[in-house]
Amino acid sequence: MEYVKTKRQQIEKFLIKEAALLDQDLLNDWLDLFTDELIYWIPSGSSDINPMKHVSIIYDDRIRLEERVKRLQSGLAYGQEPKSKTCHLITNIEVDTDENEKIVVFSNFLIVELRRSIQTIYSGRNEHHLVHIGDDLKIQYKKIDLLNKNEYIGNLSFIL
Amino acid sequence: MNINVDELVSRDGVSGKIYTNPAVFDLELKQIFEKTWVYVAHESEISNPGDYKTTDVGKHPVIVTRGSDDGQFHVMLNRCRHKAASVCQSECGNANFFRCAYHGWTYSNNGELIGMPFQDGYDKEFDKQHNGLIKLPRVDSYNGFIFASFNEEVCSLNDHLGYAKEYIDHIVNSGPEGIELSAGAHKYSYNANWKLQVENTIDPYHLSVTHRSFFNILSKKTGKKFNFNKIHNNEKISDLGNGHSLYELDGDLGIGALPFNLIIFPNLSFVGSHVRVVHPVSTDKTNVKLYPFLLKGKSDEVNAERIRKHEGFYGPAAFGTADDIEVGFDRVREGLNADIKNDWLLMSRGIDRETVDERGVITATSSDEVSARALYKQWKKLMTVETR
Ligand SMILES: [Fe+2]
Repeated sequence: MEYVKTKRQQIEKFLIKEAALLDQDLLNDWLDLFTDELIYWIPSGSSDINPMKHVSIIYDDRIRLEERVKRLQSGLAYGQEPKSKTCHLITNIEVDTDENEKIVVFSNFLIVELRRSIQTIYSGRNEHHLVHIGDDLKIQYKKIDLLNKNEYIGNLSFIL
Repeated sequence: MNINVDELVSRDGVSGKIYTNPAVFDLELKQIFEKTWVYVAHESEISNPGDYKTTDVGKHPVIVTRGSDDGQFHVMLNRCRHKAASVCQSECGNANFFRCAYHGWTYSNNGELIGMPFQDGYDKEFDKQHNGLIKLPRVDSYNGFIFASFNEEVCSLNDHLGYAKEYIDHIVNSGPEGIELSAGAHKYSYNANWKLQVENTIDPYHLSVTHRSFFNILSKKTGKKFNFNKIHNNEKISDLGNGHSLYELDGDLGIGALPFNLIIFPNLSFVGSHVRVVHPVSTDKTNVKLYPFLLKGKSDEVNAERIRKHEGFYGPAAFGTADDIEVGFDRVREGLNADIKNDWLLMSRGIDRETVDERGVITATSSDEVSARALYKQWKKLMTVETR
């Protein structure tokens, strides 16, 4: 029992750290939270699509996610000029499975984005697949199941 | 407000009022979206008898169906003939009938009124035949693309598409067994006029500026250098007539598979690997849908790669679209608030180096504003209300 409790705390701490790095715009540190083989996925339309046959809002591998971050840092990503400020709230954390060194954890999120004097709320459910690399947890897979994935969405160029 | 179209559009530019004046917008709905052909669906979206999708023609909510009995395409208003409630709530599906949830009036999927509860309350004069869902009088398709018009007198779809047809053929023939819109859509909206999206669809002049970050990434990845001055001079934009225009690319710019962008006036275009549909909502709101089209008869891997490439540049979170929304739409809308006496937006680039072929197709290089001029020539023609 003690083992599970510690683990849950470690997972919570990890998710909160991820949220803090995004809110502080520390995107290189945020990228470091991921494994080399990664999937960063925001489905479009519905959450159960097959991304090989259906378009996603984002379906990034390591290369494209690095490009995404570099682009945002290039000073030429006009969609982020001015930059979005965000506040990520993570809650309803559920550790789904914790076996074979892979932890599947679900959490609800609420992201308040402030840009050009307008506050926009994005909400939904995250699915993280975490693995142990040495003493650290790393994200192998992050699926962001947006509540408004089938709605007309505005400029979504900040990192969720 | 009285609208004098001649004061809003000239050969080489437009007044800012065409983007901001609600009276102009209302007139567009009447003179453009109720007068010409408007794209509503691709046949692959309603491939089986009874299939339907809902969309808009201008401001009107419509249902597009493939009749379960006749197999024909029908486009009808999503509005009950009794008390106006919409009768269909889903984006797409399959149904033999639409039943209004208010008082139970029920229509077949080709729009006929089948019945209603307690029919004896209506007198003998009441004719069910004349109380079906209101249909758009003209529906036609070209090579799988379905269009509709409120205007009974509109020219044939064939004539409307004109020189654009061969490019639609090329798009359809890019799949061994044709194409299909089965990969869903990106949906995004922005708070400005719909015409800004149409202009931006063929405006290669902005690529090296707005999208420099994208091309920097691509250069780094592929080693390919992009000399846009050279690229523009090797590329062409053509005014195909009726508001349609074509941008022929100089090789692969990394933004999709098609060798050209094609605009079909007023609401349809083909860009990269997707079908783009523009929905005007108000002067300050536009919805856009991007449907990556898949190649039928090609492997899943090939089609998955097309989708990934599309997502690289297009969509609300992608490397291209987000910058277009900010620069091409939001900032233009902000600048338009400076409502000065000389409120002209210039579209004169390349006007003196245009060539005209024997068909009347006007062409210049890809940094020239041939496409915008084509758009506003047709816009002006349709917006000029005939006074008899
Ligand atoms: Fe653009």
